[in-house]
Amino acid sequence: MDVGSATFDRSSLVSFAKGTVSLAVVLVLWEVVTQLGMIHYYFLPPLSDILFATDSSFVALTADGTLIYHGYLTVRRALVGLVIATVLGIAVGVLSARSKIMSWFWDPIIEVGYPVPVIALVPVFIFWFGTGDVSKIALVTLGCFWPVAINARNATREVDENLIWSARMMGTSDRELLRRVVVPAAAPGIISGLQIALPISLIITFVFEMVAGGGGLGHIEIQGVRSFDSVQVYASLIAIMILGFALDRALRILRHRLLAWT
Amino acid sequence: MVEGHVTISNLEKVYESGGERTKAIDDLSLEVPSGEFLSVVGPSGCGKSTLLYLIAGFLDESAGTIAVDDVPIDGPGTDRGVVFQDYALFPWRTVMGNVTYGLEQKGVDKKERQDTAQKFINMMDLDGFEDKYPKELSGGMKQRVALARTLAYDPKILLMDEPFGALDQPLREALQDHLLDIWRDLEKTVIFITHDVEEAVYLSERVMIMTRHPGTKKTAVEIDVDRTQPREDIIMSDEYTAMKNDVWQSLREETKPQAQL
Repeated sequence: MDVGSATFDRSSLVSFAKGTVSLAVVLVLWEVVTQLGMIHYYFLPPLSDILFATDSSFVALTADGTLIYHGYLTVRRALVGLVIATVLGIAVGVLSARSKIMSWFWDPIIEVGYPVPVIALVPVFIFWFGTGDVSKIALVTLGCFWPVAINARNATREVDENLIWSARMMGTSDRELLRRVVVPAAAPGIISGLQIALPISLIITFVFEMVAGGGGLGHIEIQGVRSFDSVQVYASLIAIMILGFALDRALRILRHRLLAWT
Repeated sequence: MVEGHVTISNLEKVYESGGERTKAIDDLSLEVPSGEFLSVVGPSGCGKSTLLYLIAGFLDESAGTIAVDDVPIDGPGTDRGVVFQDYALFPWRTVMGNVTYGLEQKGVDKKERQDTAQKFINMMDLDGFEDKYPKELSGGMKQRVALARTLAYDPKILLMDEPFGALDQPLREALQDHLLDIWRDLEKTVIFITHDVEEAVYLSERVMIMTRHPGTKKTAVEIDVDRTQPREDIIMSDEYTAMKNDVWQSLREETKPQAQL
């Protein structure tokens, strides 16, 4: 998987255009079939209605601030949880690769914790923390912690012993070693963990919002279903797709900047 | 005060894994006077790299002692600098960043760090490459950066683990001569591991031959040549050839039993 490239040139634009022809065909077909009334409006409204032609279209809900505000709520919950998970996950992952006691404590927990489908814990978290931001952020943190910790741990384990020896012969203390050598050397793997965790943070937030409300794009989408406004359902779907894509791109650019040396 | 004097007494190293004990080094004693260039040759698996890493303080000895200037070593220290075969440069640091690392650890201020690093970068003919990352360099250049990095923080003793083993012949010879110049100018003690008899004899004042598994000192051959002569004159001389043959014969006795297997 090439997650490092964030640049375009002319030929890649051309091949991008070629690659999207099939997508364009599907979208046109969608518009035609729905305009002809071949599919019930409630199931699938015409693309033009979803994008701009109605009161609850993507453009209308963006212009009146609805999608911007609720998108902000979703992204904030996802990113706050992701940041907390990143800090905790890197600490636990790096330390359990470097310390026998930490590995003795954390390895079994990670082994058991990682495969648990986090979404199944939504009701439990509602029990514990209610339906507000705290509850959502806590579950995002838990769900993102595992991939970050596992990737940080594995990347740290694979750091070349000679690099550590080099640092020690040049007078690096054990404490400095983590910050100055181990973490930079493991950075590519650590950032891969972040890239895996990012979509997970959005999924957890979105589902939690659908179940528990409190605003956010997931809430807007399920509200559309409950008020039989299928345009709103698809409009909020487009919003989360755009946000997911933008955040993933941003993280790739960050990776490219931080890991220019790879 | 003359510094960089290494004393190894009755050194033993046993590896234990899964209840199995493998003796890598057995009862090895060796004296390396300050400023000497010593090469260590031996059949593969004789523990010559283990010996180097023990002196570096990366590994703990099972028995015996290693002392630098009569003080027993306790782990790695800045009095000893290792040059690894695979360079072991920090890939996230530029050439300049790699060479200044040891000086940063010493607490040298920024201006002086840069100046000192630049001196060694120039010495290794790396000027113009200060801002490159290791991935952008060839193997020979990486090894020059590694050498500059080690020289910059000024260890008394250079420990070199087949540093030129991965390089092609012309490059290897150029770096060998470069290393000899540096050794003469900077007055370092050098312990140089190699499997190449030619390289060992050409570079060193003394070549230690190790026995096959478990490794210990078999013999040492003094290489007494006038190193102010050009390479061609040295390697063509009869004395040089005779000394090289001594080393080669001695090493061959160790590799023979293995060849018969």
